[in-house]
Amino acid sequence: MKYLLRHIGLYLVAAWASLTLNFLLPRTMPGDPVTALIGRMRGRFSPAQIQALRVAYGFTNAPLWQQYLQYLSHALRGDFGLSISDYPAKVSTIISTALMWTVLLGVVVLLLGFLAGTVLGVIVAWWRGSFLDSILPGLFNFIGSFPYFFLAMLALFFLGFTLKWFPMSHAYADSLSPGWSWAFVGSVLLHLVMPAGTVILVSVGGWLVGMRSTMVAVLAEDYIIMAEAKGLPQWQIMFQYAMRNAILPNFTQFGMSVGFILGGQILTEIVFSYPGLGFYLVRAVTAHDYPLMQALFLMITLAILAANLIVDLLYVRLDPRVRTT
Amino acid sequence: MPKRVCTILSLLLALNLLLAACGSPAPATPTAAPTVPATTVPTSPAPQPTASPQSTATHAFKPVYLTVNMEQQSTWVRNFNPFSGDARTQASTIIYEPMMIYDKATSQLVPWLATAYAWNTDNTLLTFTLRQGVKWSDGQPFTSKDVTYTFDLLNKFPALLNNLGSILTDNIDSWSAPDDFTVQFKFKVVYTPALHLLANQLIVPEHIWKDVADPTTYTNDSPVGTGPFTEVIKFQDQTYTLEKNPYYWQPGKPTFQGMVFPALPGNDQANMSLAQGDLDWAGNFVPDIEKTYVSKDPTDFHYFFVGAESVMLYINPSIKPFDNPDVRKAISMGIDRNSVVNIAEYGYIAPSDATGLSVWEYKPWINPDAVAAGTWTNFDPQKANAMLDAAGLKKGTDGIRIGPDGKPMSYKLLAPNGWTDWIAACQIISQNMKDLGIVITLDNPEQNSWQDEVFSGKFEWTLGWSSGGATPYYFYRGQMSELTVQPIGQPANENWGRYVDPQADKLLAQFATTSDPVLQKSLMNQIEMIFVNDAPALPLFPGPDWYEYVTTRFDGWPTKDNPYAPGPPFAAPSFAPSPLLVVTNIWPK
Repeated sequence: MKYLLRHIGLYLVAAWASLTLNFLLPRTMPGDPVTALIGRMRGRFSPAQIQALRVAYGFTNAPLWQQYLQYLSHALRGDFGLSISDYPAKVSTIISTALMWTVLLGVVVLLLGFLAGTVLGVIVAWWRGSFLDSILPGLFNFIGSFPYFFLAMLALFFLGFTLKWFPMSHAYADSLSPGWSWAFVGSVLLHLVMPAGTVILVSVGGWLVGMRSTMVAVLAEDYIIMAEAKGLPQWQIMFQYAMRNAILPNFTQFGMSVGFILGGQILTEIVFSYPGLGFYLVRAVTAHDYPLMQALFLMITLAILAANLIVDLLYVRLDPRVRTT
Repeated sequence: MPKRVCTILSLLLALNLLLAACGSPAPATPTAAPTVPATTVPTSPAPQPTASPQSTATHAFKPVYLTVNMEQQSTWVRNFNPFSGDARTQASTIIYEPMMIYDKATSQLVPWLATAYAWNTDNTLLTFTLRQGVKWSDGQPFTSKDVTYTFDLLNKFPALLNNLGSILTDNIDSWSAPDDFTVQFKFKVVYTPALHLLANQLIVPEHIWKDVADPTTYTNDSPVGTGPFTEVIKFQDQTYTLEKNPYYWQPGKPTFQGMVFPALPGNDQANMSLAQGDLDWAGNFVPDIEKTYVSKDPTDFHYFFVGAESVMLYINPSIKPFDNPDVRKAISMGIDRNSVVNIAEYGYIAPSDATGLSVWEYKPWINPDAVAAGTWTNFDPQKANAMLDAAGLKKGTDGIRIGPDGKPMSYKLLAPNGWTDWIAACQIISQNMKDLGIVITLDNPEQNSWQDEVFSGKFEWTLGWSSGGATPYYFYRGQMSELTVQPIGQPANENWGRYVDPQADKLLAQFATTSDPVLQKSLMNQIEMIFVNDAPALPLFPGPDWYEYVTTRFDGWPTKDNPYAPGPPFAAPSFAPSPLLVVTNIWPK
């Protein structure tokens, strides 16, 4: 119980700190939304239009502490106001359009990447020194160290543009309307192959290598030899004795990654025109769209904190040693 | 455990900083209003409009859709407010219409919701005669009340995006509707360039907007307009469709069912989509266009690029020796403009002449004598060196000229980070300047910082854009008029070098108070001559407007041989809604 309370208190402090950072950082960037917009249009706004924009986006000259208090109270109520880059759409509207796709892509990528990487890690560690062990880690590390952008563009160009195996953009075919029909779900899955596939390809290596190295260490433990001596079946030693202990660091990593899902797979979404939050994140920053930026960063921060809290709590289940500390 | 929380926080911090660092704008693809050479040069610069928009042979209606890439976006957010400055304002140029459209390709003011305009003799009263029988897309009649209401709105809410700004309060006394089809603007301070701004303003229906509490934050989800495509029948995150206005006033038009707007987040995606033939109409920068686009289907894939407002080299005239026009001209002669356009702009356009006016945009205004007198845009390093010697800037032992302050001439040339075409141009200029004995170092600050430095007048050399409009009035006002000068340190939207020529100011003032096209033309000829003599800034090349069209499904596009309207699917916010001219003239094959 004490463990729980101490953790929740700690996370509240962290949440407050990130809220504050979230408020301060965008304001330290040079320029303002109107300057950014003039630049994006390369000066094709007339002076009269610039004047109108300055009035419309009217930045209060209220002292910083007042803005800060207002920001905190609005953030607690979940009210982030109007976006500037999509003026006058509500920030909440923008986020709700894009959130679903980012979550779908993120969850698929994370789950498949984690599962594949972990299982492969267990297998190559078990048969270390085998042919598989000498090929797989190296191969996936090689792919993983490719600049992702380049890999994604290659996939887009060859699989999408030249061979036309997979659609080149969007989360579903434009001709369909979202709904629970086979045609729509099928189209969503087909559109997911390239964006998710490329990310899984580059992320598997990390999970695999992490799992393999802890697994190798665990396999040298006495209790494994003990289990073997007892004559337990191989799969039972592999998964219930070795993997359960070796998975802990990967599991922590998994928790962190869950939180980062909301950050969007920025490059993936841009290369494959996937309608998620990542594109908005980049645009909010380039356009100095403070309201949108704050809402997105806050969401990411809170998601990461929440995911970590959950991992911390699950640790108590997974690793009994934690309970006594 | 606390250690991990710290890690998370520092990760977040890193994420923030990383994103802030990616904050440089994507290169190329400026949105732009285009210009095309007129096939027939109008005899006078501001001709009186003819009675109706271009009439072409009638084409049968087909229930097909035009697919357009108007702006780059990953998901659509519903907003059709024509005054919001948001990207979707582009679609408003199809939904709403102005009284007249200034067609830069033909230099004509095309009658649209109004059939004619007239000034009174002392230019204090401007009268528009409206077209009869026009209906809003909800079936209500369009009248002069809607026009006056639109200007009332702009006057009441200065935050609404418009081109008039202070003209509505400083120059215009009042506007009124003497009858259902007449609108009058009474001027207290005469200002004839207001004609194009008033005529180009998109008109909104009074019966809808009078119930809107705050038009600045109104998202106008189901727009009611007079334009050819007004019905938002499908709006999804990845695509939306505008269908035809059931009450459109041009008989037999539009000739197709609607327009589809797929969301494409960047240039690469748009270009692939274009090369696959998915799009009918686009305005993207395409590198090596013959190979990457035209070659995929030479019979149907076309493009037509023209130049608009000049990209200029601004040399701060408040720094000695650049207060001397001969020094500025010598520097201009040292620049190899052909290399600049070939390398920076793929040779898609030709370099500027000394007047700084694009031939596509201001054809009837260009003064051939001024062009001939402006020899300082010709590449001639030998003469340039001689002129610099004559100006007393002797070369030191290391070949670098010594400035008036006794130090070697070495300056910083600015261009915003990530604007690859401008940076390429800067590199060539820097090379060229070596041959003149001037050291130029390139500096590419983040765009916001660049703007701060340049707008406040605290730069040495910089590349920059220039102002545009229906007449060259705005261009020259932005280059050498007292009206656009701000004190050094205060941000100025134009005239960054704070250059003033009193004679030009006098002529510009005279230009703005007459509506006589012949007089305006002769005044402009003199203003151009002053610019060529003074060289307050050095024109490099007209900023290109990208435009690609596909003739597989639609025909009747503006082409090199028939440039009846600007081509690009988007209108630059400061110009007329020219896409209207295109969508009402193309037809499905």
